[in-house]
Amino acid sequence: MDSQATEANPGVSRAKEDMSSEEKAGELALQTDETPVGCVFVHEGVIIGRGMNATNRTLNGTRHAEFEAINEILTTPASTSSGDLTDAESSEGVPDQCEMKYTPAILKECDLYVTVEPCIMCASLLRQFGIRKVYFGASNEKFGGTGGVLNIHRANGRVPKEGEVLERHKDDYEVSGGWLREEAILLLRRFYVQENGKAPVPKKRKDRTVKDVEPLEETTQS
Amino acid sequence: MSTNFDRKCSSPSREGGALRQSPVFSLSPLKTTLATQKHEATLRVYISTIPVKSASTILGRLRNAEIDNGLNLQHLRRFAKYTDVPEHVLSSIQAARRSLGLGPDVDASQELLLLVGGINSVSHEEVHYIISPTVTPVPICSIMVPLLAPTSHEQAVSWSSRFWPTVYKKSNPFGPHPSIISRAQEDIDGDARTWMELAIGAGQESRRLGHGEAIGVAVVERCDGQPRLLAVSGDARWLDWKYGSSGNVAGHAVLRSIAMVATAIKASENGNIDSTETACTATRSIFHDKPMISAEHGQSRASTSRYLCHGLEIYCSHEPCVMCSMAILHSRFGKVIFNKRMPETGGLSSEGVLAHGLFWRKELNWTLLAWEMSNSDASDETLGLEINA
Repeated sequence: MDSQATEANPGVSRAKEDMSSEEKAGELALQTDETPVGCVFVHEGVIIGRGMNATNRTLNGTRHAEFEAINEILTTPASTSSGDLTDAESSEGVPDQCEMKYTPAILKECDLYVTVEPCIMCASLLRQFGIRKVYFGASNEKFGGTGGVLNIHRANGRVPKEGEVLERHKDDYEVSGGWLREEAILLLRRFYVQENGKAPVPKKRKDRTVKDVEPLEETTQS
Repeated sequence: MSTNFDRKCSSPSREGGALRQSPVFSLSPLKTTLATQKHEATLRVYISTIPVKSASTILGRLRNAEIDNGLNLQHLRRFAKYTDVPEHVLSSIQAARRSLGLGPDVDASQELLLLVGGINSVSHEEVHYIISPTVTPVPICSIMVPLLAPTSHEQAVSWSSRFWPTVYKKSNPFGPHPSIISRAQEDIDGDARTWMELAIGAGQESRRLGHGEAIGVAVVERCDGQPRLLAVSGDARWLDWKYGSSGNVAGHAVLRSIAMVATAIKASENGNIDSTETACTATRSIFHDKPMISAEHGQSRASTSRYLCHGLEIYCSHEPCVMCSMAILHSRFGKVIFNKRMPETGGLSSEGVLAHGLFWRKELNWTLLAWEMSNSDASDETLGLEINA
């Protein structure tokens, strides 16, 4: 529980609460045989969208939690009264008739809390749609896009030339890793023990047990 | 819209216009990040001399010493004859002999040169320890050698004459082996143009209808040499999108094609369920997974159940952005071919501004083959450099 930076930070307790919320999304993913990654988008202290990985359900390897959450945010109707959808034809591709609660511009004012570091694809999605800050649990050395493999959040991942200091670009965003890292890693390990039933048969796997999480030597701030 | 667009939209058919030659497409494999960045990396290694008859003893002692952890120097000969090394290597070892008070005369038939290991993996003392039981004193010097294996016989010959005897083992440390690339290229060479023209055409239709930028994609399955079209998609970032910025990022053509393949797989797995039902059923969605424009309709279904887009070919009118490049990897495509390079936003190439070379990076969990398929028709409109295709 104490693996993240413990400096006095007014956002810390809230960040923990939000992380717990997306842990729950991850739990749900685990029950539905999805790789357990969950996320929430927070705007001015309010969760406005949730997502969990849906790659197995959709047979679409790009349906990561971040896509699902952004879809939820951008399709939330402005009026919450459910009796609005009287017009049956409205489901047939005339979305302009219904006002949406949020415009995409809100994403630039949101913070994202996600159990695992966004992959390169999602890091680019966030960069193109806009985001203020990303808090993640476990880092992802296999295909992480906010420090794990590339730094898409900074200059779209361009590596600075020798002696060059990268200028801040308007689409750049802040990233902070290691939040509830142990919980996030355990969630993933439990999944890989139960196996991804949709993935091709692995060549060889030894005894599948959930190991403990090794403590982090230093915080992975980037 | 304008006749201008109509002219551009009419995809160049194979009959060809009498006045205007249809464009000639040519495939060139993309370079990997390693190939562009570590072209001729070198490493400093210790060498020494040993009696020919002690070679096997020394080999055993080297193995026990377990030096060069993690370094792969299989492309370099362990032992070399005096006649097989470049002049500067001989003078270095002669200097080492002189410093030990040894004469310049060597019986070249009774002695071998030995490559011990990288100077960062083994110390001078360790080299001495390994060799001293067979011969004393031990002349030791260091030379530069190529760090990575050569990618052709010619390169091996050149390196042998410049550094140290080097062997070409038909491997490519920088990426997929050249013979794999050329074989795969032969497979697609005959019809790649057809699919690329479909992709380009879909993009132009999308643009003409105001759905998105002039970016299009086609996905092809190849079974026993027989190609089959699985999906065609045009960009849809401006469809149902009244906001500015860069449009609906989830409407990029690559993502749409991937979703269409998923729909086809689902349909084939569930028997004959109407594809409109299996596609995104939510009334509103940022995903435009269903075919909309004429170019997108009438594709065959996935013939077999498959894991995602495993092994499929994807033809893109433009080099995909970072997001779409990684989406192609996540979907386990086998080949990606793009027409127009996007030098500032493209994620596949290892040369442009970003230089990510995502199609083949060892740290990622998937690699695939990638080609740039340029055409001679330079009159085509080009996208703004800042656009993410």
